[in-house]
Amino acid sequence: MSAKETKTSKAKPRKEKDLQDKKRPGAWQVIAMPLLAVLTGLLVGAIVIVVTDARVIAAYRNFFQDPLGAIGLTFQTILVAYGALFSGALGSPERIFLAFERLFTTGETDGLVRAFWPLSESLVAATPYMLAGLAVAIGFKAGLFNIGAEGQFLMGALGSAWIGYTFHLPWYLHLPLALLGGAVAGALWAAVPGYLKATTGAHEVVNTIMMNWISFRLSDWLLNGPMKATGYRPITPVVDSTATLPRFFPDPIRLNLGFIVALAAAALVYWLLFKTTFGFEVRAVGTNPDASKYAGINVPRNIVLVMMLSGALAGLGGATQVLGVDHWVGQGFSAGYGFDSIAIALLGKSHPVGVILSALLWGALRNGATRMQSMAGIPIDIISIIQGLVIVFIAAPVIIRWLYRIRTLETEKVVLTRGWGK
Amino acid sequence: MKKLYSIMAVLLAAVLLLSACGPRAVDCSADDVYCVGQVTDLGGIDDKSFNASAWRGVQNALDDDLIASGKYLESQGQSDYARNIQQFLDENTDLIVTVGFLLGVDTAKAATANPNTYFAIVDYSYPDCWPGAVVGTDCGSDVEIPNVRGLTFQTDQAAFLAGYLAAGMTQTGKVGTYGGIQIPPVTIFMDGFQAGVMYYNQQHGANVQLVGWDAATGQGLFTGNFESTDDGRAFAESLMQEGVDIIMPVAGPVGLGSAAVCQETGGCLIIGVDADWYDTAPEYRSVLLTSVLKKIDVAVYDTIQDMVNGQFTGGTAVYTIADGGVDIAPYHDFDNQVPASLKAEIEQLRQQLIDGTLTVNGVLGR
Amino acid sequence: MSTVLELQGITKSFPGVLANDHIDLTLEQGEVHALLGENGAGKTTLMNILYGLYKPDEGKIKIKGNEVEIHSPNDAIRQGIGMVHQHFMLVPVMTVTENVMLGVETTRAGVFLDRAAVARKIREISERYGLEVDPDAYIKDLPVGAQQRVEIIKVLYREADILILDEPTAVLTPQEVEGLFKIIKTLVEKGKSLIFITHKLKEVLAIADRITVLRGGRVVGTVKPQEVTQEKLASMMVGREVSLVVKKQPANPGEVVLEVKDLHVRDERHNLTVRGVSFEVRAGEVLGIAGVQGNGQTELVYALTGLTPIVSGEIKIAGQTIHNTAPRQILERGVAHIPEDRQRHGLVLPFPIHDNMVLCTYYLPPFANGMVLQEKVIAENAARLAEEFDVRTPSVFVPASSLSGGNQQKVIVAREFSRPIKLLIASQPTRGLDVGSIEYIHSRIIQKRSEGTGVLLVSSELDEIMALSDRIAVMYKGQIVAIVPASKASKEYLGLLMAGIHPDEAAEKAVEATEEVERVF
Repeated sequence: MSAKETKTSKAKPRKEKDLQDKKRPGAWQVIAMPLLAVLTGLLVGAIVIVVTDARVIAAYRNFFQDPLGAIGLTFQTILVAYGALFSGALGSPERIFLAFERLFTTGETDGLVRAFWPLSESLVAATPYMLAGLAVAIGFKAGLFNIGAEGQFLMGALGSAWIGYTFHLPWYLHLPLALLGGAVAGALWAAVPGYLKATTGAHEVVNTIMMNWISFRLSDWLLNGPMKATGYRPITPVVDSTATLPRFFPDPIRLNLGFIVALAAAALVYWLLFKTTFGFEVRAVGTNPDASKYAGINVPRNIVLVMMLSGALAGLGGATQVLGVDHWVGQGFSAGYGFDSIAIALLGKSHPVGVILSALLWGALRNGATRMQSMAGIPIDIISIIQGLVIVFIAAPVIIRWLYRIRTLETEKVVLTRGWGK
Repeated sequence: MKKLYSIMAVLLAAVLLLSACGPRAVDCSADDVYCVGQVTDLGGIDDKSFNASAWRGVQNALDDDLIASGKYLESQGQSDYARNIQQFLDENTDLIVTVGFLLGVDTAKAATANPNTYFAIVDYSYPDCWPGAVVGTDCGSDVEIPNVRGLTFQTDQAAFLAGYLAAGMTQTGKVGTYGGIQIPPVTIFMDGFQAGVMYYNQQHGANVQLVGWDAATGQGLFTGNFESTDDGRAFAESLMQEGVDIIMPVAGPVGLGSAAVCQETGGCLIIGVDADWYDTAPEYRSVLLTSVLKKIDVAVYDTIQDMVNGQFTGGTAVYTIADGGVDIAPYHDFDNQVPASLKAEIEQLRQQLIDGTLTVNGVLGR
Repeated sequence: MSTVLELQGITKSFPGVLANDHIDLTLEQGEVHALLGENGAGKTTLMNILYGLYKPDEGKIKIKGNEVEIHSPNDAIRQGIGMVHQHFMLVPVMTVTENVMLGVETTRAGVFLDRAAVARKIREISERYGLEVDPDAYIKDLPVGAQQRVEIIKVLYREADILILDEPTAVLTPQEVEGLFKIIKTLVEKGKSLIFITHKLKEVLAIADRITVLRGGRVVGTVKPQEVTQEKLASMMVGREVSLVVKKQPANPGEVVLEVKDLHVRDERHNLTVRGVSFEVRAGEVLGIAGVQGNGQTELVYALTGLTPIVSGEIKIAGQTIHNTAPRQILERGVAHIPEDRQRHGLVLPFPIHDNMVLCTYYLPPFANGMVLQEKVIAENAARLAEEFDVRTPSVFVPASSLSGGNQQKVIVAREFSRPIKLLIASQPTRGLDVGSIEYIHSRIIQKRSEGTGVLLVSSELDEIMALSDRIAVMYKGQIVAIVPASKASKEYLGLLMAGIHPDEAAEKAVEATEEVERVF
């Protein structure tokens, strides 16, 4: 559109902040759109909850006898469900208040632990999402669609578990080594599709999916064979305590150093992406590989490096899960963290800060769903539906814009992947 | 936009008004109110196998008004086990039923930390430690835990009858089995099945062969998972190529893939496990010879009843053919095809197993 | 003649920009009215208002004397207004017929597409207006000129009387331009009225009946082609005197900076498109490579800059052999490259201008300290270059995609010229740019030449080649058919060489042809 250029002036060195403000006129939309998507997802989820609830349906069968009762039950069902979701994710405010009261009157901390347990579990659940989400996001930044985070996550878990139970070292060596082992295992696992993409152009989507399957089967074999613990159960031995990520609070709170590791990884990714020459290359390759080649950037090398970094982050996710939460790896180790991370990267617009926020949301939803299932009898699958809806609204912002009458932002364009082939 | 806000405001007001008149939640902390929670393993509540069976036990207790509340929480990953148990503890649940060996350590930890809550764990028992294992990490406990009841099943007894039946019914002289993962709750079926076949050979001087398991060496066929019906298809096909015409899959829903192959080709019969597949998988009735029943629902129901009656005991409850905890299902559609003499022999064997004159280990020579 | 369209006081502002400021325009029946202006003068905005894509803040639109409201392209079509966009809106895998009927499907019995009827009507239209097109051909198989004819047919099929052609010649070869002009003449003869948007001076003089010049969102004036010269139009557009002739001193060639021997290169589809090219470029001279687009120039440049591996032959830059060397090593030897496709190769469009300014040097001090980018230095560098190279932008922090084509090109030129360079490879450096930008970039290239840089200029604009080059090489089918000193090359002679005529024969013909009407490029 040519209108913009009409009133132009020569660039004068102005104060940077001044320019930053002018940079994006609709910056609020970057925040608002995902928030509205989440809100809309919850609203539509409420409808799904209601129409799948046998009691509510029964009430509507007799709508004309008792219309108020039917409507009341509708809202009550939603309220109970989302109330449980909320208190399951963040804790009940009442309990927290009472716990503090007890702390000040009697000095007991026991209530406090139980009151903050839901919140801590949300953070625990968010940790693997953060790291796997960062893995997918950095791939997106380079124009690579890493669907293999699930496999890399699993390989990272196995790698760190192996180091965790095989070696017996002081913690200051053992823990870093185990974390590193997870990252390296994930990186190597992702390097294969990266290398194939760089050298032969084989699409990473296909190859990362294949690598996922290989990792699932490999893990089945390892757990039944070389990595099997004593006893009959097909699980790895438990890692040494010197390799575990320390927990901050008494049981049952499982919040551990892994959460800090994930935040640090996000900061590192932010720094790498936006403050270094490496990030410059990654972003350039991701947005315009032709121009990158023209500018002398080694595109194949970047593809391999980014895939490895992505795999390392996913592997680190698996490592923090093993070393911080589970301490062993069994079948069904990952609850689809690697796959959910694609959604998280999308929701977070592939920005490290966005990824952290959406991972926290995801963790809260998943953790809250436990309580919702228990207290309100809503199947845990409803959360998957809500999460799916959120992604639909993120991927199709038109719907959100139409619903809330938001004007289109011309500059808003997220490059996710360059699609198939060249 | 303004309209939207006003609609939302009205809705919110309606919610607040109407939600005041809802039913009260059950107070599980009360002494005479019993609440039961079941934590599934990764198969989920609809696994048509032991999670579903255990849940049926809870539901029956609920239907009989033994308990005020029965809930379940599905685990999607291994880190959910501890979370789900803790969630039930948080709600003051009286009895927590956990399903499967993967929950072994988490259950023991929670039970030790919460001695006033009852636990039952399916297919597992304590002590579960081996020499050198660290309690609380490697294994759950090196002693019995007074508030945990391990529910285990002598399924080899029922599988013995199924093996005997299969050996008597085979046309090709070869029967087969395969497992999900090589763990005792699975291989115990296969041991019994093998013993049944061996005993038939002894009694009749026959030479029916078993493909897929050898109790002596511990070698056998395993899919490596409890999920893939495709694996079930593949295993059935390869067993059929070996000449097998009766298959007992011990792999949860994986076996349904085998049943599908049998039905499509008409070349084999299936022996179901855990529940009576005549009811749980009615689409395969035409190829279902019988099922080896493992009545987890009965065991769970018993445990609930004991708790309510104040008779809960920890330790291990072993369910056998004598108390009806394991058995084989009726022949249903194959009732006419099983020779009366064979039926009589099986009935006799059941009695011998009940009174202890015949043991599976005895047949296997161990 | 009657007035078919009248725009009165059209005003449209965008945040911070007055794109159209009380614009008046009339279009007579059977007239070609050219709308001339630099990029960003407000031509496209005005036409988008007319076509219903934007709503004007003020002003009236009258069609045949009646005031109308146009809210959407459908309204515009109903009022008999049709637009041929600069970027064609065609589906490559569909036939001409299918493309034409897309959106206004004619059906039989309500459900079946009546392709035959549409094809019949297409044939009618193409005969009537001299628009040669095979209705059954697939779009992807058609040359660009034919695709444009399909776009025109689409508009006529929807029974438009007023046709808006947005930069129609930007994508055409000289021959295709001639063909288009014939069609335009037929169209007006048959009573259609045309608005012709362009920034090319020669074209408007050749085809327009009246010319309205826009600058900064306002009408500068409406003139008749007989009354003006190119220079006058150019100064109206730009708002100052513009020199259309590049002033330069005689070349002072130094040592050889680029030597190419018997070079063979394949293109992306593995066709051998450069077949045995040899030449050299000396410091302080401009070697122009002329030729119709697609005769191997693109691949030649790709090979020289390391973007494509070579099949055989030798390339020496400043005495050092380049043999499938990585682009970065080539750049580091002092090569600057203004790429042919500025959006594909030259810029990372979503990146801010300051990052694009260091696209090739971001990893070197002072822009990077180790692997840490020095954002402040990069921003200052960008601000300085934007100032020096007259890049018109509100700030260096906006994405390159928000700049006009001319300013995007200036960013590339600024970046490439800010490095110490021995050899400049400039490929189509002014394609699609307005007069002001062309003048500026030409003067910069000549400045580099006088500083002692060797320049390899590849262009399909013969005027540009002749204006800048010291020696001219003509490329045809992957080979250089002749290299002649610029002083001895006539436009006719070069044109014949470009068409594949043997040099000797071309020399004879060129003498005869001098009297012919000057071709419009």
